[in-house]
Amino acid sequence: MLLPPTDSKIVARRAEIVAALKDIVPDGVVADPSGLATFDSDALSAYHQMPLVCVLPSNRDQVSEILKFAQAEGVPIVPRGAGTSLSGGALPREDGILIGMGRMKRIIEIDYENGCVVVEPGVTNLNITKAVEANGFYYAPDPSSQVACTIGGNVAENSGGLHCLKYGLTTNNLLGVTFVLPGGEIVTLGGKCGAQGGLDLLGLVTGSEGLLGVVVEVVVKILRKAPVTRTLLASFASVPAAGACVAAIIADGVVPAAMEFMDRRAAEAIESYNQPGYPLDAEAILIIDADGVEADVSHAVSRVIDIVAKCGGKTVEATDEKQRARIWSGRKAAFAAMGKLAPDMICMDGTIPRHALPQVLEEMAKLSDQYGLGFCNVFHAGDGNLHPLIIFDTMKPGEFERAEAFGADILRLCVKAGGVLSGEHGIGIEKRDLMTDQFTTEDLAQQGRVKCAFDAQGLFNPGKVFPTLSACVEQGHIHVHGAQLPHPHLPRY
Amino acid sequence: MNKASNLSQVMDFVRAARANKAPFEIVAGGTRRNVGKPLADLALLDVSGLSGILKYEPEELILTAAPATPLAEIIAVLGEKNQRLGFDPADWSGLLKSNGVATLAGAASSDASGSGKLRHGGPRDSLLGFQAVNGLGESFRGGSKVVKNVTGFDLPKLMCGAYGTLSVLTEMTFRVYPKPQHAAVLCLNDVTPEIGFAQLRKIALSALEPAGLAYLPAGMIADVGQGAALIKLEGARQPLEEKIALAHGLLGSAMQRIESDPFPAIGCGDKFADLSGDVWRVMIAPSDAPKVAKDLNATHWLGDWAGGVIWLAAPPSQAAHIRKVAAAAKGQAMLLRASAESRALHGLYAAQPPALAALNRAVKAAFDPLSLFNPNRL
Repeated sequence: MLLPPTDSKIVARRAEIVAALKDIVPDGVVADPSGLATFDSDALSAYHQMPLVCVLPSNRDQVSEILKFAQAEGVPIVPRGAGTSLSGGALPREDGILIGMGRMKRIIEIDYENGCVVVEPGVTNLNITKAVEANGFYYAPDPSSQVACTIGGNVAENSGGLHCLKYGLTTNNLLGVTFVLPGGEIVTLGGKCGAQGGLDLLGLVTGSEGLLGVVVEVVVKILRKAPVTRTLLASFASVPAAGACVAAIIADGVVPAAMEFMDRRAAEAIESYNQPGYPLDAEAILIIDADGVEADVSHAVSRVIDIVAKCGGKTVEATDEKQRARIWSGRKAAFAAMGKLAPDMICMDGTIPRHALPQVLEEMAKLSDQYGLGFCNVFHAGDGNLHPLIIFDTMKPGEFERAEAFGADILRLCVKAGGVLSGEHGIGIEKRDLMTDQFTTEDLAQQGRVKCAFDAQGLFNPGKVFPTLSACVEQGHIHVHGAQLPHPHLPRY
Repeated sequence: MNKASNLSQVMDFVRAARANKAPFEIVAGGTRRNVGKPLADLALLDVSGLSGILKYEPEELILTAAPATPLAEIIAVLGEKNQRLGFDPADWSGLLKSNGVATLAGAASSDASGSGKLRHGGPRDSLLGFQAVNGLGESFRGGSKVVKNVTGFDLPKLMCGAYGTLSVLTEMTFRVYPKPQHAAVLCLNDVTPEIGFAQLRKIALSALEPAGLAYLPAGMIADVGQGAALIKLEGARQPLEEKIALAHGLLGSAMQRIESDPFPAIGCGDKFADLSGDVWRVMIAPSDAPKVAKDLNATHWLGDWAGGVIWLAAPPSQAAHIRKVAAAAKGQAMLLRASAESRALHGLYAAQPPALAALNRAVKAAFDPLSLFNPNRL
C-alpha cells in the first residue's frame, strides 16, 4: 500500500521538533529508536514504520499545544490509542508526530443517576465495564480487543463487537466527546444532555479514523445488565442452510443480543485449540445469545429453536453459566486458533445484506479455489458483518500478494452484493484503495471537503482512508508490488 | 414556486441557483417551515414530488424511500408487516398549526423524535444512508444500505438535525424494527416532580427497555393530584406482563394501568398546541429535571425522556431566562414554536462557543459553499 511521500525537510528538523515537544510534555517524549520501535505498527502487522517522534500527553492542554505546534510547523500527526487497529489506522509516518493517548486514562466521573460515565480517551473499553459492573451496569460495545483497546480509539474507529446487533456501535452509545481540532481549539460536542445545539458533529467525528482531530474526553452511556442471558449452539449440514437461517431469524423479528457464525474449518481449528465442545460433524455453526427479562428471553429462544429446526439445523442450549462461557471462549479464540493452522492469515471485514449471505458464502468458496488459498469464515452473522480469515504462508513467493488480492476480491464481492468495505475495522490503509469500488468520485470529493473543513492542511493521519491522487492516477491500479513502492525499506510480509 | 420531482431536476435547479448565487428554501410537506430562523423572501424549491417508498425489504429490516414520502404512508406500510420505523418520528403539525403533510425527511432533518427516543434513539441512530445534491449541484451518497457500516465519514449523522442546510436529500434508507405486539401505560399518581422523575429514572436505568417515561404536573393531565409519572412498556403478551410486575416491584408503589396511550400527544408537543406563548424544548441530563423545571418556573410544562427533555410554554419575554437556565444546567434550549420576530432574535438554539460555531460554518460550507440551502436557518 502506497503512503504519501515522506517530507525529508521535516525529517531533517527532527531534533528541533523533539526539543519543542519536550517543552510541551517534558516527561512524555519518546525519541530513541528502541522506544519508538514499540510504536512502529498497530494490529495490521504487515505494515511497519518508525514514527519521527512519539509524544504522550497527560492532559488536554498539552494535546492542544502539540497540535498548535504541529500546525504552525506543518508536521503531520498520527493519533494512537492502544494500537489495536486492524486496518492500520495508527500506522506512523516517518515525517510525523505519533500522539499516543495511553497516559490519559482517568475515569473522571461515574454518573449512575444519568446512566453515563465520563472518561479520558486512554481508558480501555473493558475498564469502563469493570468500573460499573459491581452495580449491575456495563458499557455495551465489545470489540474483540476490549481488554486492550481504548475508548478514544473506539470513538475514532466507531468500534463494534459481538453485541452491536442489538445494542449498536460506539456511535449509538455516546453522549458526548471533547475534541481537539487540528488548530488546537478544544470543542465539546454533546454531553450528558445528549444535544449539540447545531450540526451532529459528534456523529461525524465518531468513526473518522483520526483524520479530524484528537479525542480528549468521552461521555459514554452505560446500560443495566440484562437479568437473563441464554445461549444456543445451532449446527447445520451446509453453509447456505446456516446463512438462510440467519436471514430467517432476522426476518422473524427476533433481535438476538448476538448471532455468530463459523464454518467447519473454523470450528475444527477452535475445537482442537481450546475444546469448547463444538459439533464436528456440522458444516456450519451459529452461536446465538438472547438477553432481557425472563419472558422476553424465553420467547426469543423458543422462536430461534423453531426457526433453526425449519432450516434443517439442530440446537443445543448451554445448561449453565459455565457452559455458556465455554461456548463463547471458543468463538473468542477463533483468530488465535486459526493462527495455529497456518503461518499467516489476514482477517477481512465487510458487511452484506443478510439475505445475500448464502450467495456470498458460495462465491467466496469459488474465489478460494481460484486463488488456491484456504480460508475460513467467522463472523457477526446477525448484522451481516463478515470476517473471512485468509490463510497463507509468506515464505512461499507470491502468497502474501495473492492473499491480499483474494481479500480485496472478497470486499468487492460485498460491495457488489449491496454491502460495504468495512463493518467495524475501519478503512485505514488496508482498504483505502478499495474506496473507489464503493464510492463515486463525487461521494469521495464530498467526504474530502468535510475533511478540509477540519484539517485544511491535511496534516491529520495523511494517507489513511482516502485513496491519494498518486495511488489512483500514477499507478493506475491499486495493487502495487514491492518493487514499485517508493518506500522499499517498508517491510512487507 | 419551483418544483423538482426527481434527482436531475434537483441538480438542474441547484446548478441554476449556484450560477445566480440565489439562495432558496427547501420545502417538502411544509409542516416545519416555521421552525428555526425565518427565511424571508427566498425562492422556494418544492420537493414534495420526491415521494414514495422505493424499496422495502421487511425481511432485511430496511426501507428506502424518497425524502418527501409522508410519515403516515411509511407508518401504514410498515404496519402491514408489523414493523415500525427505526426512530419514533414526531409530527409537529398539530403544535405548529400547519396544514401540511409531515414527511420522512422533515422529521429526520429536524431531529424530531417523540417519546420513543428513550428506547430507540433519534433519526441519527437509524438513518443508514442517503443520496443528496450538494451546493455544487452534484449528486452524492453517504452511508450505505446495510445495518453495520464504518466505511468513510458517517455523513448520515450530519443530515439528521441539519434542517436542510447541507444538501437537498433525494433518497433515504432507514433501519426498521419489528413492532412490539403489545404496550401498556402505567400511571403513578399524585407525585411531586422530585419523586416522579426519580421513579422514572429507576425504570430508565433498569433492564425493562421502557418505550416512554414522562412526568406531567397537574394542569397538563386531569385527576392526578400533584402530578403523574407515566411509564410505557412494550413486548409480547407474556413478557409485557412480566415487565409490568417488575416495574411495580422496582418502584414499590401502586400504579394504575391506563387504557389510552398519552405518549403520542406528549412526544409531538400536542399538549402545547392550544396554549399561548412560545414553546420550548430544553434538553438536559435527566437527573437535573426537577431543578430545571423549577428554575424555568413555567405554568405549563412537562418532562419526557425520563427527564431528558422539558417541554414548556412561556411568554416571549422569558426567552433569555430559559436560555440561561438551560446553560446553567449544561443543556440546550430549543425554541420550537415562536413568532418570526422571536425566532429571528433568539434562533433555534443558543449561540455556540466561537470555535464550535466556526466549525459548524466550515462543515456547512463543505457541502454548500455559497450557502444556497436554507441559509442561517440553524
